[in-house]
Formats: sequence, structure tokens, C-alpha cells
Amino acid sequence: MLDKKRIRLMAKMSAYEKKHAKEDLRISSYYKKDYASLNTLITVLWITVGYAILAGLYALCNLNTLLENLTITKLLLMIAIAVGIYLILVIIYCVFAGNFYKGKYNKAKQRMKKYYRDLARLGKMEMKEKK
Amino acid sequence: MSTLLVMKEQLQVLYAKYSTYITIGMRLILGLLVFGLINSNIGFMKAASSGLCTVGLAAVCAFLPTIIMILAATALILLHLYSLSMVIAIVAVMYFFVMYIFYFRFTSRLAWLALLTAVGFALKVPFAVVVGIGLLGTPVCLIPAVCGAFTYYMVHFVKMSSSTFKDGSANSMVEGLMSFTKQTLANKEMWVMIAAVIFCVLVVYSVRTRALDHAWKIASVAGTAAAVVVCVAGNVVLNTHISYVVLLVGGTAAIAVGLILEVLFLAVDYSRTEHLEFEDDEYHYYVKAVPKVAVSVPEKSVKHINERQDTGKIDVAQVKKQSAVQNRSNGKVGRREQEAKSADEILLTRSLNKELGLDDPGEEN
Repeated sequence: MLDKKRIRLMAKMSAYEKKHAKEDLRISSYYKKDYASLNTLITVLWITVGYAILAGLYALCNLNTLLENLTITKLLLMIAIAVGIYLILVIIYCVFAGNFYKGKYNKAKQRMKKYYRDLARLGKMEMKEKK
Repeated sequence: MSTLLVMKEQLQVLYAKYSTYITIGMRLILGLLVFGLINSNIGFMKAASSGLCTVGLAAVCAFLPTIIMILAATALILLHLYSLSMVIAIVAVMYFFVMYIFYFRFTSRLAWLALLTAVGFALKVPFAVVVGIGLLGTPVCLIPAVCGAFTYYMVHFVKMSSSTFKDGSANSMVEGLMSFTKQTLANKEMWVMIAAVIFCVLVVYSVRTRALDHAWKIASVAGTAAAVVVCVAGNVVLNTHISYVVLLVGGTAAIAVGLILEVLFLAVDYSRTEHLEFEDDEYHYYVKAVPKVAVSVPEKSVKHINERQDTGKIDVAQVKKQSAVQNRSNGKVGRREQEAKSADEILLTRSLNKELGLDDPGEEN
């Protein structure tokens, strides 16, 4: 006979397996700190590339203005401004990425925990049925 | 109003029943709009701009996650730009790459908002989409909305000045790279519209999250007004050429969208608002409770007046028998009725005779 509770549980678990299981398993293989740090580092690298592109585009737009009356002092000042903006951007994104990936790790862990709990419940149901 | 609410309930029932098909249908419509608009505006590559390609791409993307539609739209734009000029394609790749690095790398869940915003801009109703984002989303949704607006203006700029960027020598390539970057980033109209989008979303979001009566209506109107004011200010101060007709039509559409969304997602009865006040050990609570308007869909009950009955095979002999029995019983009833009538008549004549003294005297004695 069909067991409604069991079918519901299996449907829920199957939906989880289809949607999140693969990524959650990958995330759970790390410690929280390692996962957050690794992804923050990757974010910093991406931000560096993105900033280089943005700076390149800006320089391309204002090439004539930037090269006009260029002195060493002006060049140093421009480099300092560019580095300053880059550092601010990196700090903002580091804080944001750290929180984001920690939150992502927590959510993945919670979902995994719930999935294993459901798995245990399903096992018990099957055992009961066999008896 | 009650008709609208009944319609909402019916829509909910319909969506619950056919959600899979409705989602696919909506994706198909969005795909047709996105790919159709791209091909009609910058269809420089003949093979990719055909109707068959538009319909095919939309049909394929309808069955896949929305992120695939975004990737397909990006690829299609780059293909058309590449066939126009490699320089433009390179700059466009950089723009898309920056968008990916700074936002879409973290979450692609809201990426479809970029498509929707761009479609809104192309259909000349940008604030309708933006008001919707403010009402149903959070300030984070601003990022994909701004990306959508930027992409629309980049494509629009290429459409307007495509003849200028047709390939030339190596020297003109560098010049083209510089001029295209400069002109896309120095587009005042684009920045004014981006500012309007940001203001609109922030105003709508901040008003609709207040505990005001009719907060959603006020938010829609205030957000639209803020966007229109920013655009008009841009026209006056920066000398941009944003059409006032577009602002008027777009603003009206935005308010209409806001009202429709309120009916669909927040149907409450402000006349029955309750203000509660209570406390626990740590806090004192001032609660404003607004009851939802619940309308149940009237169920149609069909009453059969002349309901057909299954007669089956007619046994002639039995029918005759039945009719004979009926006739007989009818005859008995008729006789009884006649007897009752005659008894009444006899009684009546007797009583009349008594009253009028017509009875025989012998009989009395």
C-alpha cells in the first residue's frame, strides 16, 4: 500500500538532490573558514582583473587628458589614486565576499543536515515496513 | 474591486494547476521579446537576425534556466557587434566581463532582471519594470537593473551610430576603440536614466516598507514621480533629450503596473486596520495589523431542469399493463371524487331545505 508520508519525504529529498545536493556536497567537503577564505581570495583575483579592465577603459576614454602636461609628480599622484581606489574596492569586496560565502556555507550545511535527517527517517520507515 | 480579487484567486488556481506550462510560456515570451529586439535593432549578421533564429533561440531557452537565456542574449549581441566591427565587440566583451566580475559571479538568481529592464527600456516603459522591482524586490535588485539599462544604452548607441564604426585600417581601429569607449561612457542620457532607475527603486522600496496605509500605491506614485523629476532635471541641466511623451506614457504605465501588483500581491483592507499595544519583559510592542481581503472563488453549480433519464429498452406489454393499472386506479379515484361531490350536494340541498322550510312536515314528525 502507498505510504503518503514516505512519498512526500522521498519527493522532498529528490527535489533537494536535483537542486542543491551536488554543490552542497562540494561545499561541505571544506571547513567553513577554509571555504570562505579560498573564495574571498578568488574574489580578490577577479576584482583585480575587473579593476584593471575598468581602469583600462577609463584610461582609454581620457587618454589625451591624462597625458596632457604629464610630470613625474602627476604620474605618481595618478598611480597613488588608482592604487587607493583599488585598495578600497578590494577591502569592500573582501568584507562582502567573506560574509557572503560564510552565509552560503551555513545554508549548505543546514540543507545537508536536514537531508541526512530525512534519509535516516526514510531508513526507519523502511525498516518498520519490513518488520 | 471584488471582481479583480476573484480574478486573482482564479489566476492563482490556474497557476497552481498549470505552473510548468505557464512558466515555459512566460520564458518563451521573454525570449521572443529579447531576441526579437536584439535582432531588430542591431541585426548586422543576416544569418543570426532571421525570424527563424529568434524563434528557435526563444523556444530552446524557454525550456532551460534563465541564465542560459542571458548567456544566449549576450552571445547574440556580441555576434552582431563583431560582424559590425571587432573593436566594438572587444569593448562590449569588456563591459560584460566587468558586469560578470562585480555582480553576476556571486549570484545569477536575479540576472533575469537585467533582461527585463533592458526590454522595458526598449519598449519605452522603463519605469514600469523599475517600479515592479522596487515593489517586489530589495535594493540589491538595483545592480541587475542598472546592468540592464547600461546594456540597452550600449546597444542603442551602436544602432544609432553603426555607420561610423564600420571597419577601417589599423589606425582607425585604435581610434574606434577610444571613441566607442568614450561615447558609450559619456552618454549623458544613459547616466540620467541610470540615476532615475536608482532613485525610483530606492524611493519605492523605502515607501512601501513603511507602515503606511496604502503604502504600495503611494510608493508607486512617489517612485514614478522621483524618476520623472530626475529625467526632467537631466533634460534641463545636462541638456539631454529624453522625450516627455515617453516619460508621460512610461510614468502612467508604471503607476498602472504598481496598482496591478498591489492587487496581485498585497490585497489588504485598510478600513479594518487594528492597532495593538502590548509588552513583554524586554520590549514594548506597537503593532499595526491590516487584515487581508479574502475572496473565495464562487463555485458554479449547474442545475439540470430537464434532466434526461436513461429509459433503456421499452417493454411495450409492460407499459400497456402499467397504463391499464393507472387507468383503473384513476377510474376509482374519479368515482370516489364523484361520490364525494354528490354527498356534498345532498347535504347542501338538505340544509337549504331546512332553512327555507321546504321539508315535508310528515317527515319532520
